[in-house]
Amino acid sequence: MRQSSPLSTTGAGHVAPDIFAAGGRRRRKWRRTLFPYLLVAPAVLYLLMITLYPGVYAIYQSLFDVRFQGWTWAGTANYERLWNDREFWAALGNTLIIGGIALALQCALALLLAYHAYRDPFVRGWRIIFLVPMLFMPSAVAFIWKLAFNDGRVVSDLLMRAGLVSDNIGFLSSVWLSRMTLIVADVWQWTPFLFIIFVAALQSQDEEVEEAARLDGASWPAIFWNISLPMMRPVIAVAVVLRGIDISTMFANVMIMTQGTPGGSTETISYFIYRIGFKTFNFGYASAISVVMLIATIVIAQVVVKRAFRSGSTP
Amino acid sequence: MMASQRRKRGESRILRYLILGTWALFCIVPVLWFLSIGFRPRTEIITPSPIYWPTFSLDAWWLLWGDWPMGHYLRNSVLAIIGSVLIDLVLAIPAAYSLARYTYRGRDDIGFYILSTRMMAPAIVAIPIFFLFRNMGLLDTVWALMLVYAAVNLSLVTWIIRSYMIDIPKELEDAARTDGASDLRILWEIIIPAVLPGIITAAVIAMIFAINEFLFTLLIASTRNAYTMSVALANFTGGSDGVIYNAIALAAFIAFVPVFIVVVLIQKHLSRGLTMGAVKG
Repeated sequence: MRQSSPLSTTGAGHVAPDIFAAGGRRRRKWRRTLFPYLLVAPAVLYLLMITLYPGVYAIYQSLFDVRFQGWTWAGTANYERLWNDREFWAALGNTLIIGGIALALQCALALLLAYHAYRDPFVRGWRIIFLVPMLFMPSAVAFIWKLAFNDGRVVSDLLMRAGLVSDNIGFLSSVWLSRMTLIVADVWQWTPFLFIIFVAALQSQDEEVEEAARLDGASWPAIFWNISLPMMRPVIAVAVVLRGIDISTMFANVMIMTQGTPGGSTETISYFIYRIGFKTFNFGYASAISVVMLIATIVIAQVVVKRAFRSGSTP
Repeated sequence: MMASQRRKRGESRILRYLILGTWALFCIVPVLWFLSIGFRPRTEIITPSPIYWPTFSLDAWWLLWGDWPMGHYLRNSVLAIIGSVLIDLVLAIPAAYSLARYTYRGRDDIGFYILSTRMMAPAIVAIPIFFLFRNMGLLDTVWALMLVYAAVNLSLVTWIIRSYMIDIPKELEDAARTDGASDLRILWEIIIPAVLPGIITAAVIAMIFAINEFLFTLLIASTRNAYTMSVALANFTGGSDGVIYNAIALAAFIAFVPVFIVVVLIQKHLSRGLTMGAVKG
């Protein structure tokens, strides 16, 4: 991590006329040590409101059976139920499958597009065109693809015109087709996110290194594969981690496009928590799921994210 | 040999434009088609076989501003977003200054804690946040949206501004310090003007995420008092008539246009903003 050079905590003391008594100076020094903490404290306190408070609240609530009538002590019953809940494991699996495929696809596509675009004279134009899907609200994107795949039958119609299928396709009635519609919507909207970052990383590389390799007779693909790609690995790590986090929280698309159909095969963890909490109003159980996912998030953040950002911000 | 090399490069250029062009079409065609949905009558949207050349109609436009309180939704979105970005800047600028320009014990841990709040899935904290606002009596208000959006975006605003602050040469500060300027004055008169592009980038990215926010808004808002554009879309249904797609499409474009304009304006800083400052494009 690139660090700013340490600012001397006594810096101003040298300049100020030394008219203070020893006690006053000690107080000044103490105040200077405290100063950076005071600057960062409001932000930290504010963030504790959305992390520590909900965490503690969820742990507490998860020990109760919470219904409209009130709270009754449940001990670890919610956690035992979670361990045996096939819907929970299915939601976890769906999130990993849908998110994993979508992430791999958009990463590959973004690399391919960035490789072809970054030394192109029209790179700014490509970038603006590719950006367009990303700038729609996710709920709007979900409706675009809901209409195209399901309600408006446009995709079926185009495939029939191309002679590839003979009848309307029921995208919502097949496990993999239903998952695919979510993947297409996510890839369509978010490939530009990775594309923009990859292009910036490639452009910031030293052109002379590439030129030198080219004069030595290396081909462009070889240069990209052996020189450019290894150099941008830290950037890829940061971008993929950020995208991976967002994909794993996929919610609006599921709610608008599939609502988990068919048979829960497109239900993600986020939608599962929402359904348990706000459709069946089983808040105690939903909190137990939240606690487990919160612990998982903290572990992942410590292990993966910390490492990605440490190497990623090295210039 | 020269000729073959040149031919090879020509071929690769064709391949390149084929790939880029195909993706450009894939990006643009659904958008144009969705735009055409916004300007067609409802009867031509959900049909046995899709209609590709619809009759022009402003039905959706009048529906949005008449039956649907579009003005309310826009106002809620704008108020919540501006309020949240202001809260973020007030909290993030001092925090970023502290993280970027001071050395102290626990600094990196504090910085990482701020960053890690970005990793939190909204669904995980949704239930406690919902009860928090219910107990505060803030459900279905723009205030609650403002506070939530600010919390969601604070990490990225702080980290983006921090990354710009690290780049400022130390000499600039030292010179002011020898002139006897206090730390707060240095922050206000030297650092903030120098990182203005970073502050604007952070504000724009925060604005986009706030417009997009869906789950928290869905839980907090229950009437037109707090419905934003993003969640209002999901409620453009005509009961038994199903989803009102032409109104949804038009509303989507109304939200898209301002976002597109500001993003084109800050294009140069976009990659840095999207990676929270980790990639210096």
